[in-house]
Amino acid sequence: MDYPTKQTKAWVTPQIVVAIVLFGTMPLWIEAVGLYQYLGVEVIIWMIFALGYNLLLGYTGLPSFGHGAFFGIGAYAYGLAQFEVWPNLWFCLAAAVVVTAAFGAATALFLSHRRGIYFALMSIAFGQIFFFIASKWTDVTGGEDGLLDIQRLPVEFGAMSLSTRSNVELYYLCFALFCVLVILLWRLTNSPYGRVLRAIKQNEMRVSFIGYKVSVIKWSVFTLSTAIAGLAGGLFAMAQEGAYINIMSLQWSGTIVLMVLIGGGFVSFWGPVLGVILYFVARDVLGAYTEAWLLWFGLMFMLLVMFKPEGLAGMWRDLLGTLVTRKAEPKGNPAKVEG
Amino acid sequence: MFYDLIPHLINGVALGLLFALLALGFMLIIGVMEVINLAHGALFTLGAYGAVVMMAPDGGFPYEFMQPYYDLPAIPRYVIALIVGPLLAGVVGMGLEVCLRRTYGADPLYGLLLTFGAALVIEEVIRGIWGSSEYYLPTPKEISGGFIFGDLIYSTYRIYAAIFASVMIGMLWLFLNKTPYGAVIKAGAHDSEMVRALGYNLKVLRLLVFGFGAALAGVAGVIMAPIWGVRPVVGVDAVIPAFVVIVLGGVGSFWGAVSAGLMVGIVVALTAAFLTDWSLLSMYLLLLLVVTFRSRGLAGKASVLEA
Repeated sequence: MDYPTKQTKAWVTPQIVVAIVLFGTMPLWIEAVGLYQYLGVEVIIWMIFALGYNLLLGYTGLPSFGHGAFFGIGAYAYGLAQFEVWPNLWFCLAAAVVVTAAFGAATALFLSHRRGIYFALMSIAFGQIFFFIASKWTDVTGGEDGLLDIQRLPVEFGAMSLSTRSNVELYYLCFALFCVLVILLWRLTNSPYGRVLRAIKQNEMRVSFIGYKVSVIKWSVFTLSTAIAGLAGGLFAMAQEGAYINIMSLQWSGTIVLMVLIGGGFVSFWGPVLGVILYFVARDVLGAYTEAWLLWFGLMFMLLVMFKPEGLAGMWRDLLGTLVTRKAEPKGNPAKVEG
Repeated sequence: MFYDLIPHLINGVALGLLFALLALGFMLIIGVMEVINLAHGALFTLGAYGAVVMMAPDGGFPYEFMQPYYDLPAIPRYVIALIVGPLLAGVVGMGLEVCLRRTYGADPLYGLLLTFGAALVIEEVIRGIWGSSEYYLPTPKEISGGFIFGDLIYSTYRIYAAIFASVMIGMLWLFLNKTPYGAVIKAGAHDSEMVRALGYNLKVLRLLVFGFGAALAGVAGVIMAPIWGVRPVVGVDAVIPAFVVIVLGGVGSFWGAVSAGLMVGIVVALTAAFLTDWSLLSMYLLLLLVVTFRSRGLAGKASVLEA
């Protein structure tokens, strides 16, 4: 059970086209299916976060339980850049990415030599350190109240300026960034670098025997995934028009793990995307019936880990597999994914 | 100056020993099951709620037939609470172990994720039963209040908590090192396949060890409850210092965990004496300081869990 071993050189695959068409038209049909525009904004931002996180969890096999902290740092950095320095969209988003990546790079120095339990526990500790500092350093972060009145800054290209005030406009900004990110990440995961990440997941020691500097690669992938978390955090600050402490908590750091796994981040590039959609739709649909929706979601998650740890993407692949084997000759098993 | 700090020091020792107790339960589970139990905090909380039910009529069952029980004097009720809380945590822990069976042999990540889901579920169930409001666990008057010694006020309960936790840790050490059961558990942590080959029922061993580790979390929950109060999320506050203790002491080391627990407890309590808001930060600084120089903590050895 793993990602397909076949590598591709394509920049754009049919799946990417489907995703772009699907999410590109989302504002047109989201209200027709009984949901609302702001949900679309939340979903697309969390998809950016989840895709970046899956580089770490799914591809490299490093379970970081403190990633919510970096999402939060991105949000604060966006807000502070806007208040204190220069209220320009590109500058503020860049600040969110760079500041978060700097924190991530410093954290990764402590984490890159670790694996397994030490990695998991240390990542929890770092997440808590940032959470704790953000909650106490009220002069900078606003503490429990958070940073309020963050603006949805307009997109500026030279003389042209596009507003992002409405949810649909903001959605299209996020969507554009999402498209760029998906293509870049797709290339990255299908590059030799992506192969090394997957090899590290399987056996770190052998990778180092081949001659790769494992800790440098782990450091770089951690930093990269925090940079993406920072971008998502900056966008989230725009969406919420504020930056709040709760997204940095252990609970939210765990939720991103949950989303990625439930979607099938371990076996598919698209797992995180599916997982985020499922999480937010479940929140709204189950949440309409019961306040304890997290109970049902948690139970579903437990059952999935027990019986189908490949998640939604794994189920989809099984479904395709049975269809293909039914057509193919019975003696082979062509649909079986090589481990 | 030093003299004034003695009550803080005692608080720190009590806190640290309780963190160590939590950490030891967690390590027993890691040792035999090779599972990082992220539900440990939830089991801690469950233990505290179990005790609240047995102690406080307002947090308990408001049924008629329970009334004679709540009329009992405080001490027998407290003793029952001390048994029921850990028992509840232990039984739920065993249930969790049954769920975990499917993940043995697979990537350890799955066990960790399953327990994370379980933590979420247990917390939501607690919210469903008891609501989100905070409960207070009453204690018998013999161990509550404070007393004056010299010209400083000491909290009786903290001294009781420190003594209770050290007795528990001592008993745990005796159990692990001086009884045949302890020998089997330690052997299971070393090489569980070999234990099975020697004719022990590995399934039962795992079930019992998980239950036992969970019950230790429950005990810590009951003892901590009067100090911290009882809320659905209180487990997170307890389990994070326990994780720090584990990394600091080194996975798999009994005395490493105890000494790291004492270090964390004392550092946190002494910082709290001067800078109340920032007390927890000192714990993390201690962690960073130690792991920079000793990457496996004070007494950790290389283990299969790092793979």
